[in-house]
Amino acid sequence: MPDFPIETARLALRNFQKSDLDAVMAYHALPEVQRYLDWKARDRVEVKAALDAMCAQQRLHRPGDVITLAVVKKSDGLLVGQVSLKWTDATAGQAELRFILSPTQRQQGYARESVRAALDLGFNEFGLHRIFARCSARNEASAKLLKELGMRLEAHFREHALFQGEWDEELHFAILDREWLRGSKVKELKRNMVA
Amino acid sequence: MYAPQFPIETERLRLRPFTRGDVDAVFTYRQRTDVTQYLSDGPMSHQSVTEVVQLRVGQQAFLAEGDKIFLAAELRSPQRVIGEVSLILRDAPSRQAEIGYVFHPDFHGRGYATEAARVLLQMGFEGAGMHRIYARCAAANEASWKVMERLGMRREAHFREHSFVKGAWDEEFVYALLEGEWRDGAGR
Repeated sequence: MPDFPIETARLALRNFQKSDLDAVMAYHALPEVQRYLDWKARDRVEVKAALDAMCAQQRLHRPGDVITLAVVKKSDGLLVGQVSLKWTDATAGQAELRFILSPTQRQQGYARESVRAALDLGFNEFGLHRIFARCSARNEASAKLLKELGMRLEAHFREHALFQGEWDEELHFAILDREWLRGSKVKELKRNMVA
Repeated sequence: MYAPQFPIETERLRLRPFTRGDVDAVFTYRQRTDVTQYLSDGPMSHQSVTEVVQLRVGQQAFLAEGDKIFLAAELRSPQRVIGEVSLILRDAPSRQAEIGYVFHPDFHGRGYATEAARVLLQMGFEGAGMHRIYARCAAANEASWKVMERLGMRREAHFREHSFVKGAWDEEFVYALLEGEWRDGAGR
């Protein structure tokens, strides 16, 4: 297991704590966040239940396990969102990435910075082979972010399920370990050249 | 919920529920590695085929989610079972179903799979009232996804190395068709 928190330029990724309730409440229960989630956490009781579950998601021991990390700003310790990896298949080294960024904290690259750290964690620490992420086709911001990080659009399912009373359109993005590591090396090279 | 009348006849084929007498015909292709290379099952013994056929005798209607309709695809003349097709109810509230087909290699390349799968789409959309019907196959199984394309199905997914099957990375295509597209004459 890596040492937590994981630090990026501006953010720290750490385990959730019971004391995060107000901060999680501030974004989790918002309709604009809820509309894209497939579990319900709309009021304090439901958010507390969600937080209790997230506090316990600290290890990937066996397939089905989830690791969920709180994303906080290093400058002021403000909790701005969360990222998670769910280990879906041990034989094939597969995991699903999820993330939520508080709507008040968008447009600053925090989602991108934390998702990048989650991909590093999955490939470098957990040795995964492939990480995938799903999002609604209407959630253009998420789709754009995943694409920019080098994830490939592997699926576009049309009207494949009813979701909150409407036909859902779902995108699947994925990236393989060799694709991610190749991208990481290019980044390092560029940094070295600048220095 | 949906219990179709059998047999269903097309120009050259008869689709009907399996009977115990079909074991030998199914064994002739289910034992072959060129048939199973793209399936999750490996080559089957006569005993396994007997058990599978036995199970399929009762699979001929949709009564609950997950129910499967498995049909023998029989050549009308000369009368002979040359393959099998399936229609599976994957999600009842969202009216989603999956189709599948396996044919004896001696009968590939003659449009039998397309002829039979078109019946499955018709059953699914017009009989069972499905909203979306999809099919999956290995990306390397070109003959299979060509059938899907001939039926007017759209490629919705290309999953790369998403699972490890029989000692190798799996690459999978998903094709789908919506009821509106079927009504508008897709693939006909």
